[in-house]
Amino acid sequence: MELQEKLKILADSAKYDASCSSSGSNRKSGSGVGNTAIAGICHSFASDGRCISLLKILLTNCCIFDCKYCLNRKSNNIKRAIFTPEEICTLTLNFYRRNYIEGLFLSSGIIKNPDYTMELLIKTIFLLRNKYHFNGYIHAKAIPGASPKLLKKLGLLVDRLSANIELPTENGLKLLAPNKESKNVSQIMEYVKINQSKKYVPAGQSTQMIIGATKETDLQIMSKSANLYNQYHLKRVFYSAYVPINKDNLLPSLEHPPLIRENRLYQADWLLRYYNFKVTDLLDVKNPNFNILIDPKADWALRHLEEFPKEINTCSYNELLKIPGIGVKSARRIISSRRNFTIHLEDLKRMGVVLKRAKYFILCNGKYITNKEFFNKKFIERNVMLEERSLIPTNKEQLRLF
Amino acid sequence: MNNIYIYDGDFISLLNIILYLLKNNLHPENIKTDVYHPSLFENTIYLSILKNEKIIDQIISAFGQYAMRSMYYVFLSKEENKELILYYFFQNALKRRHKIMYYHNLKCVSEVLRISNYVRHETHKMKGFLRFKELEKNILYAEMEPTNNILFLVSCHFVNRLKNEFWVIKDNKRKIISIYDKKQFVIVKEEEFKLSQKESKGEQNIEFLWRIFYKTIGIKERRNERCRMNFMPKKYWKYITEVKEEL
Repeated sequence: MELQEKLKILADSAKYDASCSSSGSNRKSGSGVGNTAIAGICHSFASDGRCISLLKILLTNCCIFDCKYCLNRKSNNIKRAIFTPEEICTLTLNFYRRNYIEGLFLSSGIIKNPDYTMELLIKTIFLLRNKYHFNGYIHAKAIPGASPKLLKKLGLLVDRLSANIELPTENGLKLLAPNKESKNVSQIMEYVKINQSKKYVPAGQSTQMIIGATKETDLQIMSKSANLYNQYHLKRVFYSAYVPINKDNLLPSLEHPPLIRENRLYQADWLLRYYNFKVTDLLDVKNPNFNILIDPKADWALRHLEEFPKEINTCSYNELLKIPGIGVKSARRIISSRRNFTIHLEDLKRMGVVLKRAKYFILCNGKYITNKEFFNKKFIERNVMLEERSLIPTNKEQLRLF
Repeated sequence: MNNIYIYDGDFISLLNIILYLLKNNLHPENIKTDVYHPSLFENTIYLSILKNEKIIDQIISAFGQYAMRSMYYVFLSKEENKELILYYFFQNALKRRHKIMYYHNLKCVSEVLRISNYVRHETHKMKGFLRFKELEKNILYAEMEPTNNILFLVSCHFVNRLKNEFWVIKDNKRKIISIYDKKQFVIVKEEEFKLSQKESKGEQNIEFLWRIFYKTIGIKERRNERCRMNFMPKKYWKYITEVKEEL
């Protein structure tokens, strides 16, 4: 099989993995090829608007598993291919030199057994690092069920490791991925957490969940994420809107992937990690799903309107973070600026505050920006929703709601 | 009379002139490079000031690294009145010293922040979007047309990234070229450096493979043209291997 055909098959099989970040590692260029940038660099953007930072391919799409949602499942009649380690090295190095990519994201179907697959991954990456002295970014998938010895070897070669938990609950996994066991994934996470250092998986670990293939609520999903962040110190949890590839009575029949829901989950994920929100602030048993029409932060603020409007010049950093339209950067700027002068309304825009969103929730120097009569839930909600509507792509998922 | 002060286009000269003006309490209408054509009502003044290289260190110790870097980024921008903005920034920095960057309520500070961020962001984008071709003799060659004058900043990145390669980067808008010989890079004018543009034997094949990858990796059920364009503006497409055909 020609290299181009293999590339086509094995990139196509790899494209559903959401992660493409190349951040968190600080490899220096010595006598070898390349280095890494601590902040990561996006090199291109695909037709779906997702960033391309790494050469994202599978080593092989042959797989002994039969996960219902997966393109590469055993029972699918598709063309199968396998890269040789040398082929992967050639592609990576040639793309890297031309500045197409930051490095390699290597995943694989399970061929023969987990240990065998893992050994193939290690062999390839070992070659890339030690024969070709590649110092760029490498993200590898850890194969659940492989021995800890191999996990150790692989972790010493790569920048980031990930193992996908695929579905947020045990039941979902049993239903759609009967060959997989969630305990194998948590074993990997535990191992990486304990051993992580500058030498071992320096950029930390991440994972991915499929959204909308099973019936889990957003509350279940976010609780799972919060749990993963706390328990295993994950760098990222990725959410991947379910794309209906296979037909199966166990799978929902969707016309479009639930992209807005995916977006809301990412927004909430940021609130957990950078804005000191807890899952219980955002969702509860009565409201187990995010409002599709309003972002989670504005939605929270509208449900807690009694805490607003907040005075920019006096409220704490934590309170600033909870104001819609104010991010981590602008909150920090406000704190450092107001030690030196009193902040007026016209200064706020210059600090990166999104006034058209924040204006409903703040006092600046004791002044409310719009008419105080309009400080009521209905009015603000309507205005926030009108703004958001232009951001939501018009597709059937949205229309159903009106 | 409106006094326009002229400098030679060099950053250190500009800083020296600004400092001189501030010390002597002179208020410029504007400060421009020597290619500037004054109007009838403008008076151009050439100052012969000793170029003091130490001014960079002096500024760093007086206003901090962050202020210095931001000033340099503003200097590299395409902003029309950048010299005047730097003059006002300098004036205020003499009063506020290390705290100057906190004063978002001063217009000159917020302008310096806005413009320097613009230059920084474009540099970061270009680190990703620049595409090299392999020419004969293993030379890597790239062209770009950035909005701001970021060739120097981009070159600094590739000195570390492609340390053991010969590479050449050309800024087609400013007609300048950066050349790296595995030790250091120099920036020269276009006409000072001739290079055979003949591609290496394998080049077309690698570009072809990259286009295959690019087309394959997008999920068609998620197609989102607006999102792609937001992240990768069309003005850069001309030199990006995988999308230039779509133009």
